Amino acid sequence: MEIQSVTKNYTLTNFCNSYQVVFTNGQEWSVPLDESNSDYQMILEWVALGNTITDNGGGE
Amino acid sequence: MALTTLPTAAFATGSVGTSQLADGAVTTEKLVADVNFRNIIINGDMSIAQRGTSSTSSDFATVDRNNVLFGTIGATQSQTTDVPSNYTFNNSFKLNVDTASSATNANAQIRQIIEAQMIRSSGWNYTSSSSYLTLSFWVKCSLAGTYYAVFRSEDGTQQSISKSYTINSANTWEKKTITISGNSNITINNDNGRGLTVWFVFIAGTDNSGSSANLDSWGAFVSGNYTPDSSDAQTFLNTTNANISFTGVQLEVGTTASDFEFLPRDINLQRCQRYYRRFKSTGQTEDDFATIYGNAANGDHVMVGVPLSPTMRSVPSVSIDNPLTIDDHFRSGRTQSSANCVINGNGKGTYIVLKCGNFTSMSTGNTIQFSHNTTTVTIQFSSEL
Repeated sequence: MEIQSVTKNYTLTNFCNSYQVVFTNGQEWSVPLDESNSDYQMILEWVALGNTITDNGGGE
Repeated sequence: MALTTLPTAAFATGSVGTSQLADGAVTTEKLVADVNFRNIIINGDMSIAQRGTSSTSSDFATVDRNNVLFGTIGATQSQTTDVPSNYTFNNSFKLNVDTASSATNANAQIRQIIEAQMIRSSGWNYTSSSSYLTLSFWVKCSLAGTYYAVFRSEDGTQQSISKSYTINSANTWEKKTITISGNSNITINNDNGRGLTVWFVFIAGTDNSGSSANLDSWGAFVSGNYTPDSSDAQTFLNTTNANISFTGVQLEVGTTASDFEFLPRDINLQRCQRYYRRFKSTGQTEDDFATIYGNAANGDHVMVGVPLSPTMRSVPSVSIDNPLTIDDHFRSGRTQSSANCVINGNGKGTYIVLKCGNFTSMSTGNTIQFSHNTTTVTIQFSSEL
């Protein structure tokens, strides 16, 4: 699967504890900030290629 | 059945000697067959398919632990009931070429990535050239020919070895055996990351195959050189409805392929659920939604703690496919305006806290329970490698 976009998720107390990833096949996953998670590793590689994680801020 | 201890009175001392045992009566195969959990491959009988039984998607989509990749071609992966006759398999995994391709980057790959600590605890001395792993499998292919399996160590400098196997007769189940040794250059960490990848690959052209592939001996993995060039693989990928099926895939320590080790279904499922599990609203007995409880955190969000048993390999990723309905205070049903459940806490492999939004008029603090509603909602947890 290839990543289409990544957006920060926020807790109700405005901490970012996960990313929301949309893949090119349409699947959408909430990914923990955990280096042993392979989706998180994929995000790090995606960012290293010059892509940017969207930050819409918290404040829910 | 495991060997049992005979009572001491069963045989008089010295009554069973070499003359009483026929040649070959106690073979290595018989001894190895008494080693439990000897299969390093998980779900090698292809019996567990939590995600579904047929898909035209690549990646993880049908049979558990099978990571299926295909490029340029269109394909269907499926769990089928076509199995070798006179054996007790119930399922096989099938890959069918729906749209053929002659492109130089056409490929199809069926792989299982084995967790590093599973290799470290297997008993294989992976740095020794005199310690062995044996891969055995049943395979049925619509086209006779020579194809390749590839092994790659994942830590340190990746090392790979490709081995060929031959389909002698088209559309016929055949059992194949491949043995590899260890190698001093292999690194496998004792952790929950990638350890060893086992691949069945079909590479069409020069983009992913070539003379730098490590055929029959270990060597540093060369990107784009999984296998030697293969005209048979090229033909397979360029033939509409070419197909290949596998079952009874077993990787074990030693040079002998023992009989396939069948596990009880519950054990096999639990081994798969270390890497993937799901909860469905339709009240499945093995993945029941109603085990998930939580509280309303405010007017439009609920927080739920999901116990993950068995423990997953890592903190999982989470996905929800349809708007969720909950029982608010065990009475009124409330449904999300659109699907929304994200990871709220750092979580662990044993539990995870989710924040599910897009509700309305919730009373803060109310206890909620995920509901068996009429719409099928699936929440997936993945910690695949």
